[in-house]
Amino acid sequence: MSQTSLQSTLSHQTAEGALPVAKRMFRLDKSFLGILPFLALIGYFFFYPLAVVFNESIHDSHHHLTASAYKALFGGDYRNAFIGSFELAAYSMAISAIIGALICWAVVKTQGHARKLIIAAAGVLTSTGGIPLAFSFIAAFGQEGLVTKILLNVFHWDIYGGAFDIYNFWGILLVYCFFQAPLMVIIFIPAVENLKVEWQEANETLGGSRIAYLRFVVIPVLAPAFISSCLLLFASGFSAYATAAAMSNGTIPLVPLLIGNLVNGEVLADQANQGDALAMGMILVCVLVFGLYALVMRVSRKK
Amino acid sequence: MKRTLGWSDRTILIAAGFFFITPFLAAGEYSLRGYGGKGHTFANYTWILHQLGFGPALLTSLRIAGVSVLLLLFLMIPTVVYVQLGGRRWARLIEILCLLPIVIPVVSLAIGAQVAMPKRLQSTSYELCFFYVIICMPYVYRTLNTGLQAIALPTLVEASSSLGATPVKTLVLVIIPAIRSATLGAAFITFAISMGEYALAVLLHFHTLPTWATNAAQENLYGSVAISIGSLFSVWFLLVLFSYLPAIKGALQNKKVKVT
Repeated sequence: MSQTSLQSTLSHQTAEGALPVAKRMFRLDKSFLGILPFLALIGYFFFYPLAVVFNESIHDSHHHLTASAYKALFGGDYRNAFIGSFELAAYSMAISAIIGALICWAVVKTQGHARKLIIAAAGVLTSTGGIPLAFSFIAAFGQEGLVTKILLNVFHWDIYGGAFDIYNFWGILLVYCFFQAPLMVIIFIPAVENLKVEWQEANETLGGSRIAYLRFVVIPVLAPAFISSCLLLFASGFSAYATAAAMSNGTIPLVPLLIGNLVNGEVLADQANQGDALAMGMILVCVLVFGLYALVMRVSRKK
Repeated sequence: MKRTLGWSDRTILIAAGFFFITPFLAAGEYSLRGYGGKGHTFANYTWILHQLGFGPALLTSLRIAGVSVLLLLFLMIPTVVYVQLGGRRWARLIEILCLLPIVIPVVSLAIGAQVAMPKRLQSTSYELCFFYVIICMPYVYRTLNTGLQAIALPTLVEASSSLGATPVKTLVLVIIPAIRSATLGAAFITFAISMGEYALAVLLHFHTLPTWATNAAQENLYGSVAISIGSLFSVWFLLVLFSYLPAIKGALQNKKVKVT
């Protein structure tokens, strides 16, 4: 009896005494092992290639440290590509955000099947971007496309009369809006759903007009979600590659297309690391945008 | 008070529906046009089947997508289960790591992969699987995490192990069946993304279905529009089928219960 109690006190003492540090370290080790396969995979196939990109971007072909590739980003084709990507991302963001928000505004008032169907359709449209979407639009809005012909013959509107061409900037912008607007619906709808009907009623009982409801309730409540959704749209438009590549054969000045061209060997010997610098520039823009996104989310959560 | 659809809401929804459906209908019509744009036939669809590159490209895509699905589930199910059970302290880290593939543009990953990966891996198209695992990870993590949070995981694991099951047995016979629909969802997302992914495939010089379709477009635009419409409709069909699958299963099970 006394022996067992002694044992238990002993073990108790050791547990509280010298062992805990080692024990804690051991436990840390063990719990670390559980996510090791995950860390190994993401480390080797994600962080390692990106580290290589960074390393190459600051070295020239003779392995000397240099920032010349970064300096080149501020001039000529590279500068134009960044401007082009910015414009494409900003325009598609603005148009898609407005269309998407309007759809959200209407969708939250539907019920049951209709709503499920619309949200499912938005999910499908967002995820079926890329090559098939590009070719569908070339077929529909091309010179010989059905949409072009109907607009011309029925509405007497020649969409090719102005600057528009399905293969140029405006064509790509059109396609981007077709996958960005549904994306907006998906990411913005939870916020609109949180608008309570009671607030509208309270506004009415207090004698507020429809505009007052918009001005003092809807806009302040939805603003953080709207801004953060816009940032996500911007990042998605800025970094998309497949659609633009399929539609332009890489001729429009956009950063992802330029990187693609450089990777595919259209590169001069003294510019070997230019693609890497472009990629780093792109990563920087996206990280900044997501940093802003995190900031907006944090501020809105604190409110 | 219920929210009701006003005329403006109806207008928005109908206009949106119209604008989102029209291009696909128009593309469908285009894909059925005959040679030189005259008449309507299925010639463009049969043209696809007669192309030498089509079969191998489709097979490569299917193989890569299948391996990616298996690899991702094999990696992520144990990891997410582990994090929920004992490795709570790693949850935040994994969440952040899983967000990064969305943040970092795929193109910059491709340019790094071309230099960083060993030659032996670059010589096989299975290289793509590992990168598809990375780009699908965010969606899969979220799907599995939600699925696991919906079940009483600790209770199930305790019950299973007190009945003498090994951890592997618990995982295969208890946990995976319990999160069946989340697993299927994760598998479907991975499959769909892997089948349609273009940037990595083309920049690492592999011949998958999307890269073949863009090459074919230079030869026959009608044909590649037909491929696009075909692949879009098959993905949509699968999605619809998939979204009704659990419902059908549930309905069947309810029926059985009622009969017995």
